[in-house]
Amino acid sequence: MSALVEVKNLKTYFSSGRGTVHAVDDVSFSIEKGKTVGLVGESGCGKSTLGRTIIHLTNSTGGQILYEGEDITHPNRKELRALREKMQIIFQDPFSSLNPRLTIQETIQEPLKLSKRYDKQTIEKETNRLMELVGIEERLRNSYPHELDGGRRQRVGIARALALNPQFVVCDEPVSALDVSIQAQILNLLIELQEEIGLTYLFITHDLSVVRHISDTICVMYLGQMVETAPTEEFFEKQYHPYSKALLSAIPTTDLQKDKKRIILKGEITSAINPQPGCRFASRCIYADERCKQPVKLEELGEGHFVACHRAKEVNGMA
Amino acid sequence: MQNQTEKFLNVNNLVVEYHSAGAAVHAVNDVSFSLEAGSSLGLVGETGAGKTTIAKTIMRILPDHAVSKVEGEVKFAGQDIMRLSDKEMASIRGKDMSMIFQDPMTALNPVKTVVSQVAESIVLHQKLSKQESISKAIKMLEMVGIAADRVNEYPHQFSGGMKQRAVIAIAIACSPQLLIADEPTTALDVTIQAQVLELIASLRKEIGMAMILITHDLGIVAEACDNVAVVYAGQIVEMGSKEDIFLRTAHPYTKGLFAALPDLKGKTRKLVPIEGLPPDPTNLPKGCAFSPRCPYADEGCRERAIDMTEIAGGHLCRCRKIERK
Repeated sequence: MSALVEVKNLKTYFSSGRGTVHAVDDVSFSIEKGKTVGLVGESGCGKSTLGRTIIHLTNSTGGQILYEGEDITHPNRKELRALREKMQIIFQDPFSSLNPRLTIQETIQEPLKLSKRYDKQTIEKETNRLMELVGIEERLRNSYPHELDGGRRQRVGIARALALNPQFVVCDEPVSALDVSIQAQILNLLIELQEEIGLTYLFITHDLSVVRHISDTICVMYLGQMVETAPTEEFFEKQYHPYSKALLSAIPTTDLQKDKKRIILKGEITSAINPQPGCRFASRCIYADERCKQPVKLEELGEGHFVACHRAKEVNGMA
Repeated sequence: MQNQTEKFLNVNNLVVEYHSAGAAVHAVNDVSFSLEAGSSLGLVGETGAGKTTIAKTIMRILPDHAVSKVEGEVKFAGQDIMRLSDKEMASIRGKDMSMIFQDPMTALNPVKTVVSQVAESIVLHQKLSKQESISKAIKMLEMVGIAADRVNEYPHQFSGGMKQRAVIAIAIACSPQLLIADEPTTALDVTIQAQVLELIASLRKEIGMAMILITHDLGIVAEACDNVAVVYAGQIVEMGSKEDIFLRTAHPYTKGLFAALPDLKGKTRKLVPIEGLPPDPTNLPKGCAFSPRCPYADEGCRERAIDMTEIAGGHLCRCRKIERK
């Protein structure tokens, strides 16, 4: 198996008036070619920052980013330009991520023109191909974003991201702003595109039911750190980390028969400013004790199933 | 069906139109439902279906300048809401019925402390002194889990979940008989959402308050409501008990919603989207509003409006393809 993208001990810190925000703190994981990693967590946990750091929309503070085995942590301008063609992003909000003064055609053509690789005719042909690929009707070619509904706008965002044939696409909450019936259309489109052109996705979302449908692997983040990662099927069968358990149990389901044993967490996600060395979930965790003040690392508890919790074995009856 | 007088909220044939750029926006088209004291109804539907407009009509807080037509009847605890004077309505609003809005970030006044905002409605409706109302406000905030040492802070010092809890404290400060919660947890994370839903449920039990919960999330409805009304293009297309809607789903739109919903258990399947888009509210189809997207629709569905029919005890559906049981 070859990893297309790999990060090692990646750190992204921001300075704020109140101290240093450890937005991404010592995160390591990899994404196989043609696969999807679902990155889950609550607002402010650093999942978007992680995605943006990998594709160099945000600078990293430490650690390594590898692309096809090559170190791309500190690219120069020319290398960065080449990387931008291989790595793209689809944003959450199709209402603010499109330039309101560009028509649909102009939006999709912008990256093609900027690459300076295509003549007029090819650009025209490529535009047609992309519009067909993502399912935007020909009649909308000269429309402006405000004339389109959310689902179609998101399709335009996808077409723009795919214009230069990237291999790796960060999908940052691409369906969160859409209604259920439209959400399913976009999810299916992303899955079809992956099957057709072999795209590799980092799919960032707070919605576990969405991520289950599209991911091969699930990574759960909490306050800048990875707390659990496992193959999707395995993860939904058993979660070892107390936070993952709470997260899953908190989701309201449409299953009326389900016996609802909900874990209600006390408190809320604390801030990532100057965090203490121990487990960052400890303040909300019902199992936390003295040991949890010590730093914690991911440990493999099942095949490909990693957990960062001092008490994971006990809590799950494995000790 | 129960006697009309026993229901404490009755909405009959509600029609609301807005005017926008010269066109009439048909936001609510003949909506009728009722609620028993202490019970809960979930209004489910997608963006623009008219859910919030229904709620605002009941609260009488529709933006006057944008509304061109309001017809129908809203009866609340024996009173005809539509015919009350503004002054009479103001004495009901916040006291007998109150509303929680989606976005806790903008619902609070940024330049007043949280406790003073809770005390405001207590002073207004309960004729207590300022001192008494402040101590009652502190009690309300404690009830929603905000510690007394934080009540003098300003909204920006609160997290999203705390702000929404403060908004709930304001809404329930006068123990209303009816709470309208408009997407109360949509802006919150799931673990915080679970806290807030649990809080609303326990408060409802405590003060015996009825609730209309507006949401696009079928999971939340399943957990928090007794009855469900599915809203599409300004109409209720299916209504019944939670079990009717979830286990005996009848309307093609409701079925479509369930098929499009990613779930957490069972084998992952390909999602089945509902093809097409909701209709333009300035130009609604002549017949069934869902017919352009409906796989079962035929000429008859497109020709004329469809009535709500009772397909089983208390289970109503607006579809001519559904047989009456």
